[in-house]
Amino acid sequence: MLEQIKQWIARHRAGQSGSIAPENTPTPKTPGDQLLSECRLIVLDLETTGLNAGKDEVIAVGAVAINGGAIDLSDQFDLILRRPELDITETVLIHGIGPEALTQGHETEDALLFLLEWMNGDPVLAYHSAFDQKFLEKTLKAELGYTRNHTWMDVADLLPAFFPDALTGGKGLDHWADFFGLEVSARHHAASDALATAELTLIALNRANKSGLKTLKQLHDKLRYHRRLQSIHGV
Amino acid sequence: MAAANQDNSRPQNTRSIMVFLQAHAPFSNMDDDHLAHFAEHSTLRFYADGDVVLAAEDGVVNRFYVVKQGRIRGERHNEKADKTETTFEISIGECFPLAAIVGERPTRTLHRAAGDTFCLSIEQDAFITLISESEPFRDFCLRGVSSLLDQVNQRIQTGAMVSMGSSISLSTPLDRYALRNPIVCTPDLPIRKAVALMHENNVGSIVITDDNRHPAGIFTLRDLRTMIAEDTCSLDAPVRQIMTKSPCCLPATADAFAAAMLMAEHHFSHLCLVDENNCLIGMVSERDLFSLQRVDLVSLARTIGTATHLRTLVSLRTDVSRLVDAMLAHGADSGQVVKIITTLNDVTVRRVLELNIQKNDPGIPFTWLTFGSEGRQEQTLLTDQDNGILFQTPDGMTEDQVREKLLPFARTVNDELAECGFTLCQGNIMASNPKLCLSDREWDDWFIRFIDASTPQNLVYSSIFLDMRAIFGPTDSLDELLAKVLSRIQKNALFQKMLAGNAFQRKPPLTMFRNFRYVTDGNKRSLDLKRQGLAPFVESVRVFALANGIKSANTLERMDDLAQAGVFDIKDANAWKDAYSLIQAIRMRSHQEMLERGEELTNYIDPDDLNPLDRRILRESFRQAQRLQQKLEVTYQL
Repeated sequence: MLEQIKQWIARHRAGQSGSIAPENTPTPKTPGDQLLSECRLIVLDLETTGLNAGKDEVIAVGAVAINGGAIDLSDQFDLILRRPELDITETVLIHGIGPEALTQGHETEDALLFLLEWMNGDPVLAYHSAFDQKFLEKTLKAELGYTRNHTWMDVADLLPAFFPDALTGGKGLDHWADFFGLEVSARHHAASDALATAELTLIALNRANKSGLKTLKQLHDKLRYHRRLQSIHGV
Repeated sequence: MAAANQDNSRPQNTRSIMVFLQAHAPFSNMDDDHLAHFAEHSTLRFYADGDVVLAAEDGVVNRFYVVKQGRIRGERHNEKADKTETTFEISIGECFPLAAIVGERPTRTLHRAAGDTFCLSIEQDAFITLISESEPFRDFCLRGVSSLLDQVNQRIQTGAMVSMGSSISLSTPLDRYALRNPIVCTPDLPIRKAVALMHENNVGSIVITDDNRHPAGIFTLRDLRTMIAEDTCSLDAPVRQIMTKSPCCLPATADAFAAAMLMAEHHFSHLCLVDENNCLIGMVSERDLFSLQRVDLVSLARTIGTATHLRTLVSLRTDVSRLVDAMLAHGADSGQVVKIITTLNDVTVRRVLELNIQKNDPGIPFTWLTFGSEGRQEQTLLTDQDNGILFQTPDGMTEDQVREKLLPFARTVNDELAECGFTLCQGNIMASNPKLCLSDREWDDWFIRFIDASTPQNLVYSSIFLDMRAIFGPTDSLDELLAKVLSRIQKNALFQKMLAGNAFQRKPPLTMFRNFRYVTDGNKRSLDLKRQGLAPFVESVRVFALANGIKSANTLERMDDLAQAGVFDIKDANAWKDAYSLIQAIRMRSHQEMLERGEELTNYIDPDDLNPLDRRILRESFRQAQRLQQKLEVTYQL
């Protein structure tokens, strides 16, 4: 990962790929007739200094890509952003990231540009995605002035939509991971949580395929429908 | 520190996959860089219960898979029975498909997810890189599970070797040990000159050859000692008068084990090595074979075979146990070791019989029969007596009159064998039981009733009386009896089916989910390696052997014979032999450990005490037992 981003930065600074302006990053894609069995999906998890998007900051970004229905471990993102100026003592215990690790991080701007380039405008999935979306969009805007919107989908909605009868005992990532017997190697590590979320996504996509859902748009619509049902029932 | 830094440079998910892989063979033996290569090039896929993972229609296999979570079931269609059989199961940490990806062909087995399953896989490019760069990986892929079996055997051997400090293998071809161009002389040479020749060359033996260099006899220092002590011959007589004629010969390709067994059985200390024309090319002495051992098979067998008191025989039993350690250390596999134990037990039984005949001869010739595991030559250190007597009624006597003479004799022998460590049989299957001390005619009647009336009790007895062998006395009458019994069973389809049904009852200790099924034994989780592990093989193989007229009583030999007769597929037979031998090896190792701790020997083990590799192979061995039973089920339509 370190090598990868160093090379990327070196390449861009040398001007080989033209400007590294945010507007030159790939355009976010909208859900259309892309086949779920072929398209690329990003599954992402952020670690932050706290839960308040107004004042808290992103510490680390972990993400994996689902390519053609499989998690591709050669296509992953695992970076700690540089935030030495932040007081992070409150959340250090949850995430296991101390100030030393943060100072080894990368210059935020470079890292975020690299992230945008890596995301390639593909749809993003996350567990309780509203949280990650808010933090990421806020950070992209503050650091890069980037305001374009990616397509986000919430895995916390995806699972109950396809497994309405599952007795998980709760709505958290841990509940679903336990329900499917997943082993999460290092819980609360961004990359590790992203992988667990991606594994749950694979399970949901397998079910989606069997129920005849083939395209990204069909999946997106199904999620919207599920959310509306939920709000009608006031759950 | 360097390693830690390097580790930090790898993404968390790569590291966690490496940690996962490291817990399983062959990855546990691979370098970090190779594991990282695997992890970084892998994809993770999900298969719901029942999804097809890999099928013949997918064409040439181009991915190599490892189960990360869940299970994969291999299915093949059985044409004969027109149904689908599970041929194997692959669980967490195990790889597939091996033969297909190495052979660059489509898989022949349908791979299906059993339960929700995640698999890691790499493409052929990464697979080839790893095969060419990582030796443990290459070894595993090219030799499959048998390379794991080797690892287990290696560990069993190293364990036993700690006390022996030697690494000579009994499977080594004999010519490695052999003395090339041994000292030879002609039959007419005077003994004095022959001894001088031995002295000049500092050897303990001389081979007497004829004009064509065929071994005609052998003369050793031991023979010289006997000759002088007993004053049987003059030193000026030609050596042919005193030599041991027709010495034991083996081809140079035979292994050390064959030589050791031959020496133990016949109490020879020297063997000639000959080429295909029976010309002398070398010589092996017991000292060549066992130079590094404290306890040696041949001299132990000789000591037992010439002991003059019962108490000597009793004290020699501890040496037998030490020998088992030594044999494991010298690379004998479990099949070899049980044969050694059986050989030594035979020698002990024979000696007890001889000593009693010397003291108190019943005056009637008889054949001493053994049944069950001893009959199969599959005894371990934990063994009880299953024996009987076969006699031919002398003219002018009734069978009961013969029994009157033989039974008290048999009683003493049974008791003395018990003192030597052969526990008295609780079911009274012993020669001192009047029902098992029978004439040839009575035995024949007995077997006719046994085969015709397939009572439940008879079926229980089948595992004892249908594995029968003579270890003392004339063998002709037993051969005749056996031939009759076999032909009756071959003609009696109903009896075969009853036997098969009985064998089918004994299920290997695996649950539907491929976990171990434990016997309820208080709090401890335990498996009975004999009743649950070995018995399913022994019983099923017996059915096939008897139904196909196979004479051998030994389970491994029966499987060989069945493969040769075309009843078993050769690959299946080998897999079943491996599985059976492995369970036996684990059982013997645990016996040795119990002996070391001064515990009473049992056949129970707690699989949690085994390392993961042994556990996995034990599980796979039980799977093979299930497959063998499936064959029984199909053949006899149970």
